[in-house]
Amino acid sequence: MSAALSPGMAALALFGVFFVLLVARVPVAFALGLACLPILVLEPRLSPMTLFNETFKAYNAFILLAVPFFLLTANLMNVGGITDRLVRLSRTMVGHFPGALAQINVLLSVFFAGISGSSTADAASQSKIFIEAQVKEGYGLSFSIAITAVSAVLAVIIPPSILMIVWGGVISTSIGALYLAGIIPGLLIALAQMVTVHVYSKIYHYPVYPRSTLREFFVAAWQSLPALFTPFIIVGGILLGWFTPTESAAIAVIYAALLSIFIYREMDLRHLHEACAETGRLASVALFCVGTASAFGWLLAYYQIPRALLENVTSWGLGPIGVGFFIAFAFLVVGCFLDAIPAIIIVGTTLQPLAASVHMHPVHFAIIGIVALAFGLVTPPYGLCLMISCAVAKVPLKFALKDTMIMLVPMLLMLAAIIVWPEIPLFLPRLISPDFLK
Amino acid sequence: MKKLIGWYHRLLTRLMVATVAILVIPVTLQIISRYTALIPSWIWTEELSRFLFIWMVMLGAMIGIREHSHFEVDVWPELSARANALLRIVSYAFVLVFALVFIWWGIEFVRFGWDQLSELAELPMPYIFIAWPLAGVTWVIFVGESFVADWRVLRAPPG
Repeated sequence: MSAALSPGMAALALFGVFFVLLVARVPVAFALGLACLPILVLEPRLSPMTLFNETFKAYNAFILLAVPFFLLTANLMNVGGITDRLVRLSRTMVGHFPGALAQINVLLSVFFAGISGSSTADAASQSKIFIEAQVKEGYGLSFSIAITAVSAVLAVIIPPSILMIVWGGVISTSIGALYLAGIIPGLLIALAQMVTVHVYSKIYHYPVYPRSTLREFFVAAWQSLPALFTPFIIVGGILLGWFTPTESAAIAVIYAALLSIFIYREMDLRHLHEACAETGRLASVALFCVGTASAFGWLLAYYQIPRALLENVTSWGLGPIGVGFFIAFAFLVVGCFLDAIPAIIIVGTTLQPLAASVHMHPVHFAIIGIVALAFGLVTPPYGLCLMISCAVAKVPLKFALKDTMIMLVPMLLMLAAIIVWPEIPLFLPRLISPDFLK
Repeated sequence: MKKLIGWYHRLLTRLMVATVAILVIPVTLQIISRYTALIPSWIWTEELSRFLFIWMVMLGAMIGIREHSHFEVDVWPELSARANALLRIVSYAFVLVFALVFIWWGIEFVRFGWDQLSELAELPMPYIFIAWPLAGVTWVIFVGESFVADWRVLRAPPG
């Protein structure tokens, strides 16, 4: 292939223009698209039509439909009273721990994660519920923002998960296996967060609620039961081959809508309209970025830049654990600047040969990547969940930075554990459906 | 003028909400048709949902510029209102370039698909491709409005 530009030149042009535009505060989606332009014009074999073909191809993927569906599920949960019931249930379970409200915040994220697959939706809804309430009870504002944002990342680690659906679609890995593999890592990270809250609460003497009676717990659990059933429908339906992952997201929407209308009876047409508008807004700006990122990724592949970048790494002679840490590091760095879906498209495909070269299990590779990218949702300058929580609290992003970084430390230790012990993610899929791992 | 743009913005929002609301239907039909004989298994449900989805993304991307909801990376310290306005003029100038690209090559994109029909439902593809140049035109309008507002902030006496 004789390209007019050398790979090095092309890489410089792509990344150079992209970063300059980011600094000029051009929206990320537009910066990615604009970064492609000089090359598309200069390279005689290409034309700006590539930009259109690639964006069209990206949006024309059935798999991405899961994104609006999971957002809509989350929004329906909020307007339809499901979230309120889960808050009550969480209150009866962890309300008597130190830092009660913050513990409820984390536990609710776990429940939420099992129903919705979108961390941004989690951050948006829980910021509204918790930040103000926590500050009123005497928690630090920065702590409240940080714990809301970091617990929101659980939504993409615990199934269902938008990122796993995209990963499975782009890098052809079994989504059923990814779902099962995400459960234990997700719960471990939630545990790490609860320990963090505990330590904070001991230091700062955060308030405690009176212990709920067993009866209250059972009443709350009974009321939440239909909602808590959702993850089993979704994951079970996929494992049994009833529906595809994207279809399962549509099932989640319908189930949430039915619960809101018939069981909890809190939704009317105005709420429905609100939920749809909110969903459309968030889904489309996130997905528009996927289109331009695909064009950007396509150009990287056209000039074989990933191969050039990775040639060095392969020669380092890293073992599986070394490669695991390298992959996590790469995703963490990229996650600071890119949204997770474009990062999977651009970086996930790049790193796959590296992971394969040390015989890392594709599911293990996926979980390392997804967890690292999930952490990227709270790392600046581009950490969507943290941006959303700060926006709700009306403070600049750097206000909550220190507490967020402190909370990330135990979470990063969990990521390290996942890298060192592949059994953590692989145990459940091996136990429940070994076929999916082949 | 502002009223007109506001009206156009609301129209686009309504259309986007409609695409979100309708989107669930074809996917549900697809699942139901697989398991029951209640409805025939229409093969184009998948294609229809994809096309609605494309329109949802493009409509949302259009109004995102007016609502300033496209995600940005902010590396600047807190800026004054004037500096903010200036920076926004610079960044939206780049968005304007992108919008013009979408119009110019978008028209070519529509022409290229002029005689194409979709694979399953045999829908004319220009119905889909037209979203790209339309997005370009819409961005030009919204960016223009934003320029005017930011220009006023810059011209206003400091303090």
